[in-house]
Amino acid sequence: MTTTELSGIGVRGQGRPARVVVASFASCFGCQLQITNIEQHLMDVLGQIDLVYWQLTDSTPMPEEFDIAVIEGAVTTEQAESQLKELRSKAKAIIAIGSCAVTGGVPGMVSRDFYERPSQVYPKVPHACGKMITPRPVSAIVNVDFETRCCPIDPYDFVVMLQRAIYGSNKLATTRTLCSDCKRNETSCFFEDGTLCLGLVTSAGCGARCVNLGRPCLGCAGLSPSANLDSARQCCERYGVDARAFDERLQLFNQTNPAVEDSDR
Amino acid sequence: MLYRVIDAAELPLLVSAFMQQYEVVAPVKRGRSYVFDAIEHPEDMVLDYPTTSASLKKYFLPPKETLMRFNAQTNRVAEHTLEVPPRVIFGAHACDINAINRLDQVFRDGTYNDPYYCARRDATLIVGISCTPADSCFCHLWDADEARFGYDLFLQDIGDRFLVSISSVEAANILESACNPREATDQDRIDFRHATRRRQASFNPGIPDIQDVAMLMDAFHKDDFWEELGSRCLSCSACAAVCPTCFCFDLQDRLSPDGKQGERYRVWDACTSPQFAQVAGGHNFRPEGRERVRHRMYHKLNGFLANHDRMLCVGCGRCVKACKADINPVKVLEFFKQKGADDASAA
Repeated sequence: MTTTELSGIGVRGQGRPARVVVASFASCFGCQLQITNIEQHLMDVLGQIDLVYWQLTDSTPMPEEFDIAVIEGAVTTEQAESQLKELRSKAKAIIAIGSCAVTGGVPGMVSRDFYERPSQVYPKVPHACGKMITPRPVSAIVNVDFETRCCPIDPYDFVVMLQRAIYGSNKLATTRTLCSDCKRNETSCFFEDGTLCLGLVTSAGCGARCVNLGRPCLGCAGLSPSANLDSARQCCERYGVDARAFDERLQLFNQTNPAVEDSDR
Repeated sequence: MLYRVIDAAELPLLVSAFMQQYEVVAPVKRGRSYVFDAIEHPEDMVLDYPTTSASLKKYFLPPKETLMRFNAQTNRVAEHTLEVPPRVIFGAHACDINAINRLDQVFRDGTYNDPYYCARRDATLIVGISCTPADSCFCHLWDADEARFGYDLFLQDIGDRFLVSISSVEAANILESACNPREATDQDRIDFRHATRRRQASFNPGIPDIQDVAMLMDAFHKDDFWEELGSRCLSCSACAAVCPTCFCFDLQDRLSPDGKQGERYRVWDACTSPQFAQVAGGHNFRPEGRERVRHRMYHKLNGFLANHDRMLCVGCGRCVKACKADINPVKVLEFFKQKGADDASAA
């Protein structure tokens, strides 16, 4: 579910700065923290909004009215699911940030046969866990207007999405995959020496950061909507990489993606 | 055309002379392949390199290029200066020079010039160098194995010497000042002919030489082959990123972090990207991989020829390596060869 009710129009224009809340579900809180890593631009960014609630820094209850909800984390409990629906009903725009919120991310890793898992960990599942449900990304429950991908997010990417929510934008999210970024960066392809890399199917946008640091893509940006999993498996075999290793690697960040769930069972 | 001969030992002097006035970019080894990059010393470059992983187009059409800046509050265009360093591309292969000639046809020699491209092109000297074809090279099939124009100097390796074709005064002056160019002798000419024959004999005979490719593209427009090829497209656009003649771009805006200033930039785009042919209202003229891959091959092997009298593909073979899904013009040639064999056996 990605249809937006904003239709390219931002939330501004009400004679006051956009009111923003930052909320978190199952996650490490790292992406919220990452926003502050924009450092010298932080005040510039805050100057464009009225930050009415930030879960990381705030113990007071979330206000009833706001314009933009920035949401981190995967939905893993019934309570979170209803909180998310409430956020959606109040917000004019929702920005999902980080792998957990966008793809199910790390919490999503356990989504297969999920209901058997808590009892494997706890003799008696603690009450504090809430009523657990299969982990899923924000977009599996409500419409999401903008996404800032990756684990963790790039704070500059987040600011771009925040500005699009405020000022409006009809820009399409790219469907390219990472391989084209590597070609632009002129880095050597891992497949040429038989090393698995998820760039074949992962959304472009990060600029192939891990590959630039000499490590293959793990898929934290999530599958491109145009990902061709069947062809990618054939590519693996063509370059001497076991296609089962490819499917296994997808479970790290993309376990809850229907394309992955459907294809490798 | 003027021809002179210099000794191979003089080459570093020529590169150093260019470095006095220009940024020199040349092939260098990076990772498992070769790339064009700025060099600081003549010995940094590797002139007997196989095709670089990406092409030279980045120096004329950068992957991301700011076209203008604007004040987002007043909605007015702000000051923006295009900075173009005077540059020498040293060691370009003939296919890559021919590719730049095709980009010139699009951006410089058409009805509407692209000022950004022209500024970069005009500030760049090109020194070509002869090469030995790699397994994935098929430039000879498109008549792109020889650069007839589009360079300032072209160095033909004839053993311990280079036969230098000179086609600009600017480069000739630098050659004259740095080296000791002499008239070509009969022996130089003989060695040049031998070198040319060696190159021509080195092409991979496994890549089919098909006549009338453009016509065959039309004849087999509806063949199932395109579904076979398109269905395995990964939609990654790696092919277009490495292609020396893929010139399509997208225009995008971005605001500064404070939201007060903005820039409009262009980024490389590709007709193999699923969104490429999506228009206002949401309709997509080429929603399927089959249509997109076929369209790209058509532009390379048919459409451009109709408008510009030459193939847009120069046979550099970069896509042969870059495409992990094994989609490239060689597959199209193999398909035509197979079709020809099928027809012959049916007749």
